[in-house]
Amino acid sequence: MASSITLTPLQPFKPAVYSRAWASVPHPTLPLLATTHAKEVTIYSLTTLTKHSALTGGHSRSVRCAAWKPGLPSGKLCLVTGSFDATAGLWRFESEAKDSAEGEQLEVDVTTSSQTKTPSQQAKIRSGDDDDQSEKSDTEDDWEFTLVLEGHENEIKSVSFAPSGQYLATCSRDKTVWIWEDVGGSEGDDEWETVAVLSEHDGDVKAVAWAPDVPGRNKRAKHGGADVLASASYDNTVRIWREDGDGEWVCVAVLEGHEGTVWGLQWEGRARDGEGFPRLMTFSADATVRIWSLVEEEEVEEEGAKEGANPWSGGIPNTMRRGLREDWTCTAVLPAVHTRDIYSASWSGASGMIASTGSDGVIAVYGEGASSEAAEEKEDVAMASPGAEPTTAADVKPASNTWRILGTVANGHGPYEINHVTWCKRFDPGTERKGIEEMLVTTGDDGTVRPWQIT
Amino acid sequence: MQKSELDNANPTIRDVSQLPSRRGKQAPVRRGPESKYDDLIFGKKQSSLGTFRRNVSSWPSDDEDEEDYADGFTQEPIDEQEIYDLISTISDPEHPHTLGQLSVINLADIHITPSPATRTAPDALHTVLVEITPTITHCSLATVIGLAVRVRLERALPPSYRVDIKMKEGSHAQDDQVNKQLADKERVAAALENDTLKGVIDKMFTTCTR
Repeated sequence: MASSITLTPLQPFKPAVYSRAWASVPHPTLPLLATTHAKEVTIYSLTTLTKHSALTGGHSRSVRCAAWKPGLPSGKLCLVTGSFDATAGLWRFESEAKDSAEGEQLEVDVTTSSQTKTPSQQAKIRSGDDDDQSEKSDTEDDWEFTLVLEGHENEIKSVSFAPSGQYLATCSRDKTVWIWEDVGGSEGDDEWETVAVLSEHDGDVKAVAWAPDVPGRNKRAKHGGADVLASASYDNTVRIWREDGDGEWVCVAVLEGHEGTVWGLQWEGRARDGEGFPRLMTFSADATVRIWSLVEEEEVEEEGAKEGANPWSGGIPNTMRRGLREDWTCTAVLPAVHTRDIYSASWSGASGMIASTGSDGVIAVYGEGASSEAAEEKEDVAMASPGAEPTTAADVKPASNTWRILGTVANGHGPYEINHVTWCKRFDPGTERKGIEEMLVTTGDDGTVRPWQIT
Repeated sequence: MQKSELDNANPTIRDVSQLPSRRGKQAPVRRGPESKYDDLIFGKKQSSLGTFRRNVSSWPSDDEDEEDYADGFTQEPIDEQEIYDLISTISDPEHPHTLGQLSVINLADIHITPSPATRTAPDALHTVLVEITPTITHCSLATVIGLAVRVRLERALPPSYRVDIKMKEGSHAQDDQVNKQLADKERVAAALENDTLKGVIDKMFTTCTR
């Protein structure tokens, strides 16, 4: 891995949203980005870096978060929004070219519709007041608000889809996590059931995230299903949840160590050597980013037990439930960069690099040396220091851990706080490796969404 | 918030003439970048984002902007007295007096980092720490007062100022709990979408004439 990287600002997405923007969520496969702000969501095209469509009129208070439903057939989009109005909204977008069986069709639609809309949007910005009305008539045909998920008592802070799309998790200031199951007969048949209300946190639940579908996750799928959920809270803890085989969702681990609100978390996205269980990254008001790992003990014994019983059957005796308890430890604290709350961090499934940002307006990128080469890495850092950028290797204590700072940018959104950072594939004409090259996208209090080239 | 009895029926009240002010000193001439906050200070409905938009639209800076920044740099920096003037005039939600008169806000409990006397880079962040002394240790309105102070400063100060509100140590029974709530950006944002709470805070600002 390179000893340092450079972040170069690209042209911001147009138009800006002109109010605090909370988060920008890339579609898992298509060149689309959903930015939450005020009571709506703006969808940007990653091909043109301009507005594609908007989701308006579904919520009575700010939309805090959004998640794309994974694994939909071509030509269909589904976004779930979580709002301060205590509801989650389910939205659907049908491509006009329904007869097309081509997987690329939606991407083409996205590109063309963006291009045709751009001039009229610019005209609207200039014309000012009637902006809202004309915008609505423009987009209402596209996005349909199809379902409201009600149940939380207070603001929803985060929503997340399980990798299969079967489960949706929502969390709220009411200290609970709700798990909803898609029980509709077909895609587009919107019927969702509440399968669990988890209320073990002592404070607001700030974020939820499902473990990705990598080999290491499925290898551990012994007791219940393979799905694993993590939640981060105002009570400074992180909790891990699994289904116990009897349809009950239980807390299998409490991760303690952060000294402030845990603003969020993300699972490691790429498969690990030896099919280890994915690690978990958490970030906090205590200005640290932490990495947690499952202690995979009793591997032999559990393998033995596995032979006798089908792990998917519901007939697991209660005495085995103790086996659900998991031992998680903090295996790394990333080098200190930030001076205030870390509101967001993103772990690239492609490169393994982590980016973080927050109240201090700094964007930092970290890289990990393979632990078996730790000694070598230390030497590399020492040798790289004289020639490297002043902001990169200088502050790293080689002995602390194998993570080091690869690059930082101060005042990423000028004087404003940055609420969100995410890795995102590039599809714009500026890249020669469309859909492969990764960039960072940051979202701030200034209402701008900014892409950053990584070199 | 509706109570049959006041939390503290007989608070100590200081006369306005005894409160710290810049009287007698030459008041700095306000113009240039700072005068554009006036509409914020006088108006209630505008969001801070709207006012500072002008700065942001031209970011990232080209040469012209650098000059603008340099101009701003030579302006009188924002000092503790200016912060005091902004927040001491907020009304108490329960008494017909201001937070300055009730000594909830005190000049000595306002800290700016780095100090206004230090020359700093034009894009450097500043932190304003305000320690609040509720009139009695179990004052249930401490959170509302803290929220009002935070909102007032966030609206009035440039976006490079970060506002931290804390209960002065030992002044309140649930210090940590209140401090944590007031430091939580997401909770503050959601609270301001609550019309009842917003109404209470706007009422507290009606005495802020400056």
